Amino acid sequence: MSGMSEAPKPDLATVERFRVVMLPHLDAAHGFARWLTRDPVQAQDVAQEAMLRALRYFHAFRGEEARPWLLRIVRNTWVDLRAKRGQDQPLEAAENHPAEGPDPEQSALAGDRRRQVAAALAALPEEMREILVLREIEDLPYKQIAAVLELPIGTVMSRLARARERLAVELRGRLGRREHGLPDL
Amino acid sequence: MDCPTCEAMVDAYVDGELTAVESAEFERALEGCPECRKRLDAARALSGLLRELPAEPAPDLLRARVERELRTIAGRPRERVRRWTQWSAMAASVIAALGLGWLGGTLTGQGGRESDALVASYLRVAMAEHTVDVASSDRHTVKPWYAGRIDYAPPVVDLTAQGFPLLGGRLDVIDGRKVAVLVYRRNQHKLALSLWPASSSGNSAPRVSERDGFAIAEWRHGGFELRAVSDLAPAEIASFATALDRAVDAER
Repeated sequence: MSGMSEAPKPDLATVERFRVVMLPHLDAAHGFARWLTRDPVQAQDVAQEAMLRALRYFHAFRGEEARPWLLRIVRNTWVDLRAKRGQDQPLEAAENHPAEGPDPEQSALAGDRRRQVAAALAALPEEMREILVLREIEDLPYKQIAAVLELPIGTVMSRLARARERLAVELRGRLGRREHGLPDL
Repeated sequence: MDCPTCEAMVDAYVDGELTAVESAEFERALEGCPECRKRLDAARALSGLLRELPAEPAPDLLRARVERELRTIAGRPRERVRRWTQWSAMAASVIAALGLGWLGGTLTGQGGRESDALVASYLRVAMAEHTVDVASSDRHTVKPWYAGRIDYAPPVVDLTAQGFPLLGGRLDVIDGRKVAVLVYRRNQHKLALSLWPASSSGNSAPRVSERDGFAIAEWRHGGFELRAVSDLAPAEIASFATALDRAVDAER
């Protein structure tokens, strides 16, 4: 959040406006945090912290799209949190225990296929996972993805393409290619 | 359009990032390019798989935590915030945490501080991966579990017939003291009930209040101070209190 200065304690009117503008996107903030952290408890912590940060920075919000604005804060919150506790939990350890995305089995309609897709997505490196979540689950256009990830659009496109190739590889190992029409590489 | 050109456009086409003119060009090129047709189908299939993943909405407790922070920051009196409609719509679970505590002297009569301690205890129940230390719907399993763990025997009743099945029990530490907490369920909600020996005699009717978006019922019955905390609506937690009193009386 460079370039955003921190305001003094928000007043009642600011909090009320924040409630109206940002609180409806708590589900999105949590969902994104869920995929970033791959842990239900941490996801809640990240989402809560991000909402607080968003309120602190809310004076800098200029009426752009609220959801990508908030998702960018979610991501930065996660990056900071991970850096802070980086020593306790080496990245390698986290990557060795993937497959902890939202559990589709909680859905009554959950099938094996969804579980496999969730596991494959959760197993991707964070750089690929986050961009796929923003594109396919949050349904953001390239321009907004670029804003959330603070990347040029060209990089968004190339990274998205790489992430899709990698996910297809992951999935081909888990699902039959023929039934699902997954790409040959 | 040659094949490398249309290949490069597949993703942007699927993502809806092409202009109308570009899309039309791409679609024309596709007719003469079976390879890119296959790539397009594959890209759509992959996208479809991701899009059918179920959404996981923000848990009620996260919402409650955020609401509490907002209220604290705004410094508004909590009485002004009545969000039960929203709450009961979203909360599919009720946690009644019965903290069976030895808190008689500590907790009673300290208003806000007691409520804070109870809500904190409730959040530990609700947030924890395992909500109970002894998981059983059988009170004859739960009650003996407390023997030797705390210095009183909490009355444990099952309220399944009244719509509050017992999930189990746990110990909590509130204000440095060990407290017994019984966890009940209502539909998908959990409810935590704390109780400890009363220091004064006589029964008192349940008094229902609200704290941080949670309903708290406080009453004295059968020689115990009782505190139920949950994300249920106040009327439901009151009916829990009534059902509990009846069941406790029936035991005697």
